Amino acid sequence: VNRAEIIDFLVEHARSPSNRGRLADADVIVSGGNPNCGDVVTIFLRVDHENDRVAAVSFEGEGCTISQAAASILTEMVSGSPLGEIEAKDYQGMMDVLGREVVRSRPSCATLALSTLKAAIKKYRRQRTAEGVDGASTPEGPSSREVGGPPAACHTE
Amino acid sequence: MADYMNPELLVSTDWVAEHSSDPAVRIVESDEDVLLYETGHIPGAVKVDWHTDLNDERIRDYIDAPAFARLMGALGIGNDTTVVFYGDKSNWWACYAYWVFRLYGHDKLAVMNGGRKKWLAEKRPLTREALSYPATTYSVMDAHLEIRAFREDVLRHIGRPNARRERVELPEGNALVDVRSPGEYSGELLHMPDYPQEGALRGGHIPGAVSIPWSKAVADDGTFRSADEIKSLYEAQGITPGKDIIVYCRIGERSSLTWFVLHELMGYRRVCNYDGSWTEWGNVVGLPVENPSLEERRRKEARTAPHPEMGTM
Repeated sequence: VNRAEIIDFLVEHARSPSNRGRLADADVIVSGGNPNCGDVVTIFLRVDHENDRVAAVSFEGEGCTISQAAASILTEMVSGSPLGEIEAKDYQGMMDVLGREVVRSRPSCATLALSTLKAAIKKYRRQRTAEGVDGASTPEGPSSREVGGPPAACHTE
Repeated sequence: MADYMNPELLVSTDWVAEHSSDPAVRIVESDEDVLLYETGHIPGAVKVDWHTDLNDERIRDYIDAPAFARLMGALGIGNDTTVVFYGDKSNWWACYAYWVFRLYGHDKLAVMNGGRKKWLAEKRPLTREALSYPATTYSVMDAHLEIRAFREDVLRHIGRPNARRERVELPEGNALVDVRSPGEYSGELLHMPDYPQEGALRGGHIPGAVSIPWSKAVADDGTFRSADEIKSLYEAQGITPGKDIIVYCRIGERSSLTWFVLHELMGYRRVCNYDGSWTEWGNVVGLPVENPSLEERRRKEARTAPHPEMGTM
């Protein structure tokens, strides 16, 4: 895939994003990013509790082309995925999916959606533990399975 | 109401609409959002990416003169072409590209007032059509090195104070403007939010600098503030036309906008941009730094610290 094709792929996602909009019956809603810089992504996540998989995921947000394209691409990628698989995704891999050649000058924009989705799963786990269900399904805790940290992220729930 | 000293350096969106296919004019988009141009741009405009086009990939510096000439040639810009910049974020990056073009001696330059934001607000057309113009042979004539300050120039400018000294008075006639956010100036932040890779080991500002964030020179619609507003904004902090002025930020991009406002629009004669800026100054061993947030913390600690009792040593 050459540079022009990567750019087309990102620009198409930014112009016509998949899974953009609120999810009415989300289990968790988490926002990430920094309004001062203009890049914000809010993840809406509904979980298939029985199978510990994504039942539905969507996003809202604003900011640069890369951050918004990455959110669209990520939500397509994780549709129906086991939560554990998402928790194990690493940020460098996300950069490769998006095209490292193009996004390398903006690592925090490229990984904002993934770090926010991981924060949403973490919140979901906490909620389930607090409700007294499902707590035993994540004995080692989700964060221990993360590989590396995001280049930069802050999250509000 | 006074006008800018050089009002011709700002062109309107109307002017750009009328000249976008003028062969003597090249419209150039330069954005912070590195893919924004590809989502749609002013018909006829070409892109200059500050990161990949203007910076040397190996050493921390701009591309050299032969590489600049090649870039101009590839964009179809001749030595006589009028280059008009516009971009996102109140033309912040457009001004950065403008400054680099001026540094390499290209004199026919202007900025589209209001940038991309104003163009879109006026519902003017965008296109995704990829453009190329016939290549030109460009020669870098006289570089304007006088608009760039290096670390040594800044040290001389502030009178080479002893780095351990707490208070520094700038030599008479010299002024220094820190255009970063108040949190960066005060030393609370070591980098801009979301730009952790452009951080520094020490926070604060260069001694003697006044804080005038770059964005105060632009209005909400992305246009530059009036000459009267700019005059009172800077003069209130002692930044007057007769002074030798150095502006800086983190890597020299935000301060390019301030340089554009003071040197180009207002016609202040001696204004340099220190592009090494805080990512250099805050990382070099032994340079003098003022850090108000550290001083504040020490004052608080001194107030709350228990007094050691006699004889405990």
